Order: sequence, then structure tokens, then C-alpha cells
Amino acid sequence: MIYADNAATTQLSKAAFDAMTPWLLDEYGNASQPYAFSRKPKKALTEARATIAKCINAHPDEIFFTSGGTESDNWAIKGAAFTNGQKKATITSMFEHHAVLHSCATIECLGYPVAYLMPTANGVITPKALSGMISNTTHLVSIMFANNEIGSIQPIKELCEIAHAHGALFHTDAVQAIGHVKIDVQELGVDMLSASAHKFNGPKGIGFLYIRKGVEIAPYADGGAQESSRRAGTENIASIVGMATALKENYDAIDDQCINICALEHYLLSSLSNEHISYFRNGGANTLPGLISLSFAGADGEAILHRMDLAGVCISTGSACNSRNTEVSHVLKAINLDENLAKGTIRISLGKNNTMADIDAIVTALIRIVQ
Amino acid sequence: MMRISCVICGKCDLGKDTIGINKKLLGANIANFYCMDCLAEYLGCTVQELLDKIQEFKDEGCTLFK
Repeated sequence: MIYADNAATTQLSKAAFDAMTPWLLDEYGNASQPYAFSRKPKKALTEARATIAKCINAHPDEIFFTSGGTESDNWAIKGAAFTNGQKKATITSMFEHHAVLHSCATIECLGYPVAYLMPTANGVITPKALSGMISNTTHLVSIMFANNEIGSIQPIKELCEIAHAHGALFHTDAVQAIGHVKIDVQELGVDMLSASAHKFNGPKGIGFLYIRKGVEIAPYADGGAQESSRRAGTENIASIVGMATALKENYDAIDDQCINICALEHYLLSSLSNEHISYFRNGGANTLPGLISLSFAGADGEAILHRMDLAGVCISTGSACNSRNTEVSHVLKAINLDENLAKGTIRISLGKNNTMADIDAIVTALIRIVQ
Repeated sequence: MMRISCVICGKCDLGKDTIGINKKLLGANIANFYCMDCLAEYLGCTVQELLDKIQEFKDEGCTLFK
């Protein structure tokens, strides 16, 4: 089996797995308890928080552990809305992940206005578009760091400056990007940032929300005093340690990994071109390393996915049959991709474990299907 | 109802699921159909793998298999 769907999830790193096991078996103490048996888990929690904070240039007190990207996004959007301030409006984009879009739909139903920015054909939210929509009633701007379907990286720093100039908070869903490109929250200036461990070779079911010191958002879960009383619930030490280990491992090798994955990406695209396969690459020039959204005119993306699966290759598609029609994804609709291309869109997402031999197999299978 | 035969081996009266999996994997507007054995041969997979796919499509409610 060749796994080329790393944007969906990634393989757990061996180092992360090894770091997790003691906390699942022997050191099972509750980190919130005052006795000696809980001292080690408490220390592990502190160290994991510090490790993650260092990776993104944050302070440890600004890292809040969650169950993953979806919870982080829900908390950022709803928590910002429910602070009971004078300003109630939120701005986001039409091609965010559903964790953001559906959270926005929820607050809209509760009377908080939400406006949706349209990306360019290359999948970019421009500073000009945000400037044209933002006002002094805007409380929160939420724009993803990089799109999960087409990989386009957003001008977060510029967008953030516009938000702050209007007294608004800025949240970015960095789930797809963190651990794959360098992210410095100080340099970007973001107020909140969502992350999920399983996207960067950590375990599933764990993530974090970076909340800049001084930013007021409503707590996500009421209960105990965990996470500074903002997200109650006994800490999942094993997963938190696994997440910190995986993130550090990726950050320590991020430059080399980026070079290797970009080389694989270039090899894949040039191999298709050499075989005279006609395709359209979505996402413009500035995309996440290894995230390749390809459209084949007149093809059926879902059929390509299933035939690649039968050939032993895991990829994703931008269109899926909803029992009656082929439904094009909201991302491809948002970038206004021609329907003939949209229906024939697939996503190949390469990771650090892929090899040149994998690319050869992917290209061979793909050529057989689309030629 | 029109009877459909396998374009390779000539097997007659291909069933609803066989026609559905042909359309699902080769395109909704195809003119030629394969029987399960010939389709598996053409795609380089096993008949069981195709049957697994059919079951998954049925579970998802795909109307091609109703």
C-alpha cells in the first residue's frame, strides 16, 4: 500500500509512540492530584507545553490542550463570540474547514453576524478583500493558514495587521500547516492558532489552541481547573507527550523534510508532464510542501480515487457522489473552478515517509487511469 | 430492459451491481461493460476487492446499486 493522503492524517512517529507508552501503562497518575505519584505526569505536562510553545515561539501559558483541530476551531470561534463584548461580528472565508464554517453557522443562528470572504482563483484571501469587508464592529477574523484541499498558503501576517488595525482579534486554523512549515506566532501576530497532532505524525484525538496572553475568550468546557480553568477535563498525558514529541521531531528536521518533499512533488509533476498527461494544478504558486491538488478535465475524481485504491494507492478527491449527483467540494466551488475540472479533481498529499519509488507507483497508476 | 453483455468475454445479462461498479469506476456514460472477472482483470485487482467496493457504495446509499 502506498499512502499519499497525508493531508487527511499521518503515520504516528515511532519516537512519539515510544514517548507515549510509559504514560499509558505505569505512570497513569492524574496530573492534577497533589501526591507524589502525580509528580511525573505533572512534570511531563509542563515539559510538553514548553516544547510546543518553543516550536511556535509562544509562551507555555499560551498553549491550551484540546481534543484536536475541530475543538480548537470551535473554541476560537464560539469562545470569541461569547465574550459578551460590544463588537459581535466575525469575518471568515468561504473555503475554511467545516470545523470553522459550521462553528460560524452556529453563532450566526445565535445572532452573531458572520461575513464570508471569497478567495481568488488561486485560493488566496487577499488583504484587499479583507480591507473591503472589515469594520470597527468586527470582533474576530478567522482565516486558515493554508487550505487543506488545495494547499494555498494565506498572507496571514498582512491579514492579521488589518484585523488589529480595526481592533479585531485574529484566529488562524493552522491544522494543515503546522509541523510542515515554520510558524512563528510572534512574527505572524495572530491572537489564536489551532493545531491537531495527527496531521504532523502525532496521535489522534489531541491538539491545542494557542491563545495569546491577554486575549479574552469564553472557556470551552466548564468543570475542573485544568488548562487554567478554560478547558476542563483530566489531561491526556500520553497523547500530549506524543504530540509534543512529534512536533519537535518535525520542527528539528523541517528544512530537510521540506526539501525532500518538494523534490518528490516536482518529480511527480514532471513525470506526469513527461507522459503528456494534461492536468491543472490548483492552489497557485505558494502551496504547502507535498499537497498537490490536480484537476483532469472531463475525468471523474471519485472514480480516480477508487481506481487508485484498487491499485494500492491512497489519495483523496475534491468531488464525491452524494447518492444522486457528483458534489463538488465547497473549496473548489469557492475558487470558482470550472465544473469540468472540479469534478475531475484529486488531492495527492505526500509526507516525510514517501519515497521516489512511491511516486513512480503513483504516476504509473494515475497514467493508466486518466490517459 | 436492455440486456448488457461483457465486452471482453461476452457473458450475458450482467447484473445491476456489475453494471453499477462499471459505471462507478469507469464513468457514468460508458458504452461498454465488463463482467466482474474481466473488470477485475482490466483493473488489476481481485473480484473480492470489487465486491468490497460494491458493498461500501451500497452502505453509502449510492443509487447505482439500488
